[in-house]
Amino acid sequence: MIEIQEVTKKFKDKKVSITALKHVSFSIEKGQTVGLLGENGAGKTTLLRTIATLLSPTEGYITVDGMDTVKNPDAIKKKIGVLFGGETGLYDRLTARENLDFFATLYGMSKHETKVRIDDLAKMFGMRDYLDRKVGGFSKGMRQKVAISRTLIHNPDIILFDEPTTGLDITSSNVFRELIHQLKREGKTMLFSSHIMEEVSMLCDSVAMMHKGELVYHGNLEELYQSEKSNDLNYIFMSKLVRGETDYAS
Amino acid sequence: MLRNIYIKEMKDSFRDRRTLLLTVFLPIIMMSVLTIFYESLISTDEGQTFTLAIESSISVEEESLLTDYANIEIVKADDPAAIVREGEAQAALLLSPSFFTRIENGENASVTLIGDSFSQNSSTLMGIVTNILTSFEKTIITERLIAQGTDPSIIEPFTIEQQESSGENPNVNLLAMLIPLILALAIGIGASPAAADLFAGEKEKKTMEALLMTPVNRTTMLFAKWLTITSIGSIIGIITLIVVALEIAFFTEHLKAAVSFNNQAGMIIGIAVAISIVYAMFCASLLMLTSIIGKTVKEAQSYSTPVMMLSMFPVMFLSSVGINELAFEHFAIPILNLFSLLKELLFGVVDYQHVFITIGSNLICIIIIFIIGRILFKKDKWVMN
Repeated sequence: MIEIQEVTKKFKDKKVSITALKHVSFSIEKGQTVGLLGENGAGKTTLLRTIATLLSPTEGYITVDGMDTVKNPDAIKKKIGVLFGGETGLYDRLTARENLDFFATLYGMSKHETKVRIDDLAKMFGMRDYLDRKVGGFSKGMRQKVAISRTLIHNPDIILFDEPTTGLDITSSNVFRELIHQLKREGKTMLFSSHIMEEVSMLCDSVAMMHKGELVYHGNLEELYQSEKSNDLNYIFMSKLVRGETDYAS
Repeated sequence: MLRNIYIKEMKDSFRDRRTLLLTVFLPIIMMSVLTIFYESLISTDEGQTFTLAIESSISVEEESLLTDYANIEIVKADDPAAIVREGEAQAALLLSPSFFTRIENGENASVTLIGDSFSQNSSTLMGIVTNILTSFEKTIITERLIAQGTDPSIIEPFTIEQQESSGENPNVNLLAMLIPLILALAIGIGASPAAADLFAGEKEKKTMEALLMTPVNRTTMLFAKWLTITSIGSIIGIITLIVVALEIAFFTEHLKAAVSFNNQAGMIIGIAVAISIVYAMFCASLLMLTSIIGKTVKEAQSYSTPVMMLSMFPVMFLSSVGINELAFEHFAIPILNLFSLLKELLFGVVDYQHVFITIGSNLICIIIIFIIGRILFKKDKWVMN
């Protein structure tokens, strides 16, 4: 379970203080898949980085399975897998196997465990043909599969995805969506940010909507559709933002 | 964990063609060019012929003053100065009319020597001609004194004998300036791409975030990366020293004669290798800092370039300093101490106190820089873009 309590994150840039997160509070139950929605600069990546222990909250706290992210970062890192968007975070001059092998050793996995896990992931993502080729020559889809495998190498209970399908073709996006379904079946807890409403609508149990660093909505998708009397998440998202703007103005 | 990260970083760095090129080929090329250049520079005076322009109207007797010298080739011209200006002769000699007759009659005669003191060949020829004329002048004075019944030794109350205190070949001084310079540049230039890649590059490619998401201590990561840069720098340093030693031993005559370590050769080579490794460690620390500060590889390289240029300054400070004048500060200031210690070693001097001061001062600086690097690497601002 992830519990986010009154989290505020401020950055100082050339003596100017920027508040990226403002008193954000919500929780994610074990086995739940939550979609994180928001425009660019809404604070989605900052929130994911803070949950992942890469950033410390300026105010408030986050707990993962009861452990504070500031006090127990190493224990939390073993439970979490993170895939950040844009660049895939792989070493181009190493092969796919060497990349996965390296991260497995950093998570303290034995050689046997690593070999079995790499074989499983290669089978799951159909990577066997290019597992021993250097990543530098891979297509974006191939790279994304290796990056997802790297995220899952230590079989984490909690997985954070930051716009994972950005720039992927339809086939690769479908592979990713199928993976989310599989991980849901395995009982993994997932939080992923996305711009694609259909994707969130299709894969998530609940959504968290963010606007200018604030959480404007968090709740179950079914309940949201009923309360808004619409099944169009895109429309609901936009109306929530408009209401948010009106609230700020008043 | 440190070993795993180190092995991966080394593998990744050596698969980069830039690192491979700068690690292996750069030292070989730089040292080969340097060795050939200095060997030719040292041996230029031997067997080289210089062209001296004289007036067409010069008498046979006057010309005979210069004909006995095999390294002077005489060219006659109506305007010898024009020949020099055109570059067809390195110097011109103009004698006053009836030069010998005037001397025989005890009248004042004059000599004009035209040349370019900025040209080494012209300066050498003017020096040779001046010596010939000075010798001729002395002969005439001696003849005149004897004719007057005076002992010629009266005009030479004492003789001057100049001795070199170091007793070493002066050509070594040239090498003592350039070997450390090439070594310092090779280590800095060679380790720079890997350093930029290991911090700024990882931030740019977002692999740093993936790395930071693992439960590995940041200090361990920092140390593994520093060790990788140090290893690459050390390999370059050692290759550079091996290349220069082999080329001097097998492909040179004058440099080989100049550098003679006698029975201390093993010790001197050992200390040279050790100091190269220490310099590589120091250099790696500086490059690590510039790479942590840089957000991209390009930015990191912009910061590291002026830092690497620091290695050129010791040449200016030490070019006029003899090995007996080297003091504590020469061995206590990093970079300068690489030049000072290698200068001593090339002259065959092994001073353990200087070796310990050099290594100690570098280690202190490395620790301070590493602590600064660790503080920066622990802050989110410097590890994530």
